[in-house]
Amino acid sequence: MVQTIARTLDQEMGLDERVVVMGQDVGKRGGVFLATEKLFDKYGPDRVIDAPLSEAAIIGSALGMAVHGLRPVAEIQFSDYVFPGFDQLVSQVAKLRYRSAGQFTAPLVIRMPSGGGVKGGHHHSQSPETHFVHTAGLKVVYPSTPTDARGLLRTAIRDADPVVFMEPKRLYRAVKEDVPDDPEFALPFGRAVVRREGDDVVLVSYGGSMAETLKAADALAEQGVSAHVIDLRSLMPWDKETVLDAVARVGRVVLVSEAPRTAGFMSEVGATLAEEALDLLLAPPLRVTGFDTPYPYAQDREYLPGPNRILKGVKRVLDY
Amino acid sequence: MIRDSQLFQPFSDEPISLIGESGEWKGTFDLDLGPDALLGMYHDLVAGRMMDERLSRLQRQGKLSFVAPSAGHEGAQVGVAHALRRGRDWLFPYYRDTTLLLAFGLPYLEMLGQAMATRADTNRGRQMPSHNGSKALNIFTIASPIASHVAPAVGAAISMKIRDSGQVAATSFGEGATSEGDFHAALNFAGAQGAPIVFVCENNRYAISVEYNKQTGAESIAAKAHAYGMPGYTADGMDVLASYYVMREAVERARSGLGPTLVETLVYRYGAHSSADDDSRYRPREEVEAWKRRDPLVRFRTFLERRDLWDDDAEAELRSEIDEAMKAATAEAEAAGPIPVAWMFDDVFAEPLPHLEEQRHDLLD
Repeated sequence: MVQTIARTLDQEMGLDERVVVMGQDVGKRGGVFLATEKLFDKYGPDRVIDAPLSEAAIIGSALGMAVHGLRPVAEIQFSDYVFPGFDQLVSQVAKLRYRSAGQFTAPLVIRMPSGGGVKGGHHHSQSPETHFVHTAGLKVVYPSTPTDARGLLRTAIRDADPVVFMEPKRLYRAVKEDVPDDPEFALPFGRAVVRREGDDVVLVSYGGSMAETLKAADALAEQGVSAHVIDLRSLMPWDKETVLDAVARVGRVVLVSEAPRTAGFMSEVGATLAEEALDLLLAPPLRVTGFDTPYPYAQDREYLPGPNRILKGVKRVLDY
Repeated sequence: MIRDSQLFQPFSDEPISLIGESGEWKGTFDLDLGPDALLGMYHDLVAGRMMDERLSRLQRQGKLSFVAPSAGHEGAQVGVAHALRRGRDWLFPYYRDTTLLLAFGLPYLEMLGQAMATRADTNRGRQMPSHNGSKALNIFTIASPIASHVAPAVGAAISMKIRDSGQVAATSFGEGATSEGDFHAALNFAGAQGAPIVFVCENNRYAISVEYNKQTGAESIAAKAHAYGMPGYTADGMDVLASYYVMREAVERARSGLGPTLVETLVYRYGAHSSADDDSRYRPREEVEAWKRRDPLVRFRTFLERRDLWDDDAEAELRSEIDEAMKAATAEAEAAGPIPVAWMFDDVFAEPLPHLEEQRHDLLD
C-alpha cells in the first residue's frame, strides 16, 4: 500500500503542478514509512516541503497554500500527533468554506498513518477518525487495500474540500496486489465495497480492522457460516444504503472497528440501523471494537478486535 | 536573514515615531507622500472611528449582537492598509480590525450586512459580527480562535514565494496571540522558509483583562522576532505615519525576497474588549484618559493642519459625507432582510452530501 501511495502522489504531482507535498521528513528521507519516496529528487524542495516539527504549522500552512491556489497533500507522521494541529483542522480548515460562504475553500489532503498493531504504544497506535467525522466540513476516508488507497487518494487530491486520509499503517506492507496504473483511475467517496457475499451475518468494518474481519469471515466459512463483508472505505460521507440493503436481507450484523467503542464510528452505524431498520433486524446490531482505555502497549493484540473476538460477536448475534 | 532596513533600526529601545505630540514631523528622512495620500489616510482614520461608533450604536439598539471596537487602533491599522497593495496583496486579519478592513477596501455595506447578519452579508450570516472576509479583496475570513489564522497566512505566503507571484501576505493579531503555540509555529515556519509575510501585532497591552506583564516576560513583542531569524520593529501605533513607514519597509523587504518581518504597533483600546466586557474592572480610568490624549486621529489632524491641508470646514464636510454613506449602507443592509433558515445547510461541502440534505429536509418539513 505504501508504494501505491508514493506512486499516486507522483502521478498527481506530474499531472498538476499545483500539487505539493509537505510534512516532517517527507523530503530526502521520503517519509518515515516511505510514502513520499523519491518525490524530493524528482520535484525538488518547492514541491516536496520538509516542514518544521509542528503539526499546527503543517496543517495551518497547508490551508493557506490551498487558499492561495496550491493543492497541498500534508503528511502527519502518525495520527497520534495530529492534536497540536487539531485547532487548525477544526477551527480553520473544516470551517473555512462555511464561514466564508464558499468564498474561500480548502482543497487539501491531510494524510495520516493510523491504527494499531505495530507495537507502538498509545502514541503510535490510536484511531482518532471519529474526531474528524464529528467535525462538520471534513471528509474522512480510510482505505484498506492498495487499490482503494490509490483510487481514494486521487479523489481526495482532486476534491474541492479538505480530506482526512487515514492509512492503516499495519497494512502498509501486508497486502500485495496489482493496482490499476491508469492516472485517471479514481474511486468515489461514500461508496462501500462488498468484500465477500454471504447470507448468514453481515460484517461491517473499515481500515486496518478489515484484515481481521476477513480472517474471521474465512474462519466462519470453515464452520459453514456465510458472512457478507462490507468495507466502508469512506466514513464521511458513509454508504448507508449498502449497509442497510445488506442488513435488510440478512438481518444480523456485527460492526467491527479498532477505535474505542464509546461514540466510535460504529455507534453511528448501529444507531442508524436502530432508527431505520429495526423491524428488519433479527438480532441487535453488535459492536466489536477497541476498548475505552488508552491504547495499551503490552496488550496490543488483545486490544485490537481480532478474529476470535469477532467470532464471539458473530456467535452472539447468530444465537440471539 | 536579519538585515537593517533602510530607514529604521530593528529592535530599537524606543518605539519608532514620526509625528510629534503637537503634529510636527520628526522623521530623519523626507516625507514622500503627497496631499492625496495623506488625506486618504485621514479619511480612513475617520471612517474607521465612525464605523466603530455606528456599530456600537446598532448594538445598543439591539440590531446586532456584538462589537469588538477598534477605536484607538486606527493609526496602526490605516498605516498597515496603506502600505499594502489593495486587491493584490493578502490580508489575514483578526476581529479588532474594523478600520483595517475598511482601509483595505471593504465596502460599508459588507461590514454592516455582516454585523447585522442580513442577506447583505456576503458570508451569508455564518459568523458573529466583527468577522468579515472578502475573496474579491484577498481578505481571509476572520475566525475567532486566537492566532489560528497566522499559520494559514504563512502558508499563503509560502505559496506566493513558490509561485513567484510578487505578492505579500500581512497578518494582524493582538499581543495575547503571541502566547499561543500556533503563533510560534507560524513565525518559526515563516523564518525557515523566508516567506514574504509581515506579522503585525497590535499591542494594546490587554488581552481582555490580562495585562502585558502577565502575558509575557519579553521586553517587547518585537523582541520575539529575533528568535525566528527576522527583524522586529516597534512602532508608535498612535502615529499613522510611523505605522505606515515601518510597515512599508517590511512589505518591501518581503516583496524583494528578504523574508518575513514582525512589526509591533503600540496602540490602546479605547473601548472595552467587546460589547460584552466591562473594562472598568481592570483598567484605571486615568490610564484610558491619558491614552485618549494621544488619539491617533487628533495627532494626524494636527499634522495636516500644520501643513495647511486641513481645517474645520474640511472636517465637517468629511464627516457628513462619511455619515451619509454609512447611513445609506445601514439602511440597505437592514432592508436586505434576514438570512433564510435553509441556508444553514449550504457551504459545508462543495456539493451537498445526502445526510445534510436529509437534515435540511427534517428541519424544514
